[in-house]
Amino acid sequence: MIENARSINIAASLILIVGIVYIIGPLYLTLSTASQSYEFMLRNGLAWYPGDQLFINIGRIFTETRIPVQMLNSLTVALSIAFFTCILSFLTAYALVYFRIRWAGVVFALILATIMLPLDIRVITTYQVASNVFSPLNAVLDATGLNDLIAAIFGARIEFEWSVLNTHFGLVAPLVAHGTGTFLFRQFFRTLPADLFKAARMDGAGPIRFMVDVLLPLSRTSFAALFVLTFLSGWTQYLWPLVAASTPDMTTAVVGLARLAPDQDGAVPDFPMIMAGAVLVSLIPLAMIAFLQRYLVQGLVLSEK
Amino acid sequence: MSSDSSLFSNRWLPLILVAPFMLLVVLFFYVPIFQAFYWSFFLERPFGGGSEFIGFDNFSRVLADPEFWEAGWRTLVFMVIASSLAVVVPLILAVAADRKIRLSLPARNVLVWPKGVAGASIGVIFAFIFNPFVGILAPLNGMFPGIWAPGLDGTDAFITLIAAHVWGGIPFNFVILLAGLRSIPYTMYQAAAMDGAGPWRRIFDVQLPLIMPQLFLTLVLEFTESVTSAFALIDTITHGGPGGATTLLVYKIYTDGFNGYDLSGASTQTAILMVFVVILTAAQFVFLGRRVNYER
Repeated sequence: MIENARSINIAASLILIVGIVYIIGPLYLTLSTASQSYEFMLRNGLAWYPGDQLFINIGRIFTETRIPVQMLNSLTVALSIAFFTCILSFLTAYALVYFRIRWAGVVFALILATIMLPLDIRVITTYQVASNVFSPLNAVLDATGLNDLIAAIFGARIEFEWSVLNTHFGLVAPLVAHGTGTFLFRQFFRTLPADLFKAARMDGAGPIRFMVDVLLPLSRTSFAALFVLTFLSGWTQYLWPLVAASTPDMTTAVVGLARLAPDQDGAVPDFPMIMAGAVLVSLIPLAMIAFLQRYLVQGLVLSEK
Repeated sequence: MSSDSSLFSNRWLPLILVAPFMLLVVLFFYVPIFQAFYWSFFLERPFGGGSEFIGFDNFSRVLADPEFWEAGWRTLVFMVIASSLAVVVPLILAVAADRKIRLSLPARNVLVWPKGVAGASIGVIFAFIFNPFVGILAPLNGMFPGIWAPGLDGTDAFITLIAAHVWGGIPFNFVILLAGLRSIPYTMYQAAAMDGAGPWRRIFDVQLPLIMPQLFLTLVLEFTESVTSAFALIDTITHGGPGGATTLLVYKIYTDGFNGYDLSGASTQTAILMVFVVILTAAQFVFLGRRVNYER
């Protein structure tokens, strides 16, 4: 430092201690309560120190709830969201940056707008679309009079119907339709030197070859960052899986965990078991953060610039 | 990519590359938005019972409903309090963690953890920790009965929601603000120190002005975030209660649409909420964005 700044360093340390306690405190209390018995919790309330019941409570989660199946769902859904977001965003950003197309600006603006209105706001009508993904097509057929024409010729109207509710596809697709990934890759491509492109062209590389042999290897870190980011957001989704999955075996672990907590009143709920569920459900994403923190931080910073 | 000679000129390939993603965006983003506005002009019966054009009747019905205004007001209050706290708390932490002290490395690690805990999970956890009978404040209730009653007192329930929201919002805002702080050149501090600015003074005269772009961005994103992320917290901590004291618009839309089968009313409220969010974001860009200096 430039000069001795003891007072400010002490203040900063105190602030950081408070911040760390604020973050770790609830997580610690979750873990310690998860390792106590129901009777202990009834007698003493919140557990300040860990007990020896952790594996018994986790075992009860496995035998008494659907959370294990739901964790598999969460894994499938989060991995699919991350995978498809990475691939589709990469292709889209590539097309927008490296091709001479007049509509690039319009399409990019349309994609950016998705960041402003998250799925939670438009859940009612997104649910309706998911209950029949052909409903826009039907509406177009009706509105253009094409359906009347078809009815006149063939004697019956055409109504397509395909509900993606309660399927993995339905849980994944609306969450992939989000602009952060395209934004991230576009920003990254624009930082690459233009000479790279010229050199590749002089060597005779076409668009596909340039994408696969030059851009793809260069984008490795961006892929990792976006993958971690979208996996975490996919795993932690709540409202969409809550409405889009109608059976306990199809929904995700976070929704399953929320269902464990009874709707208030009555007896004191079995908090040790619920907390054991919370530990279990948060284990995979927390492990991911611990091991892939570098990419997560990078992803957060990149998605901003 | 400035000159046009450095671009591919294929005609169909870019279309094919963009098509899959744009199909999803149109189907699951633009169609639902269009439908929300479309339905707000129709009386939509549930279970495919047909629909009927009724003009602005839905809007007059929703706007005449006091519950709508209360939920809207609560949304605004939550938005202002929760999102300013969710920016200020990470800002203070980031300024502290930017100093070269022993705790800054562990803090940078720990403060990112909430990113891995779902809003609904932290809701379940906070519902337990702030439970008036077995939670952390239960002893306080033993001394002063009824002082902490989130099941009865709307303010207590609101405080729990905000505490949980700030907890979950720390990672993103902390990382962005810290990245901004760390990109400030060291010579700036040296110059300020030579001009006689002490360490406290440098926070306000060097650091804060120079991370304005990051502060602006976190604030814009946080406003939208606070409107939507509240759903998981409300549904797991308070269920909109007590007595509707924590029913924000996003929760009211959900209950009207999925529990009350009032599709027209829910769509109308969705349309109003979307217009509100768009206007608010635009206003932030007009009033705040103009003052942000991106030059270093």
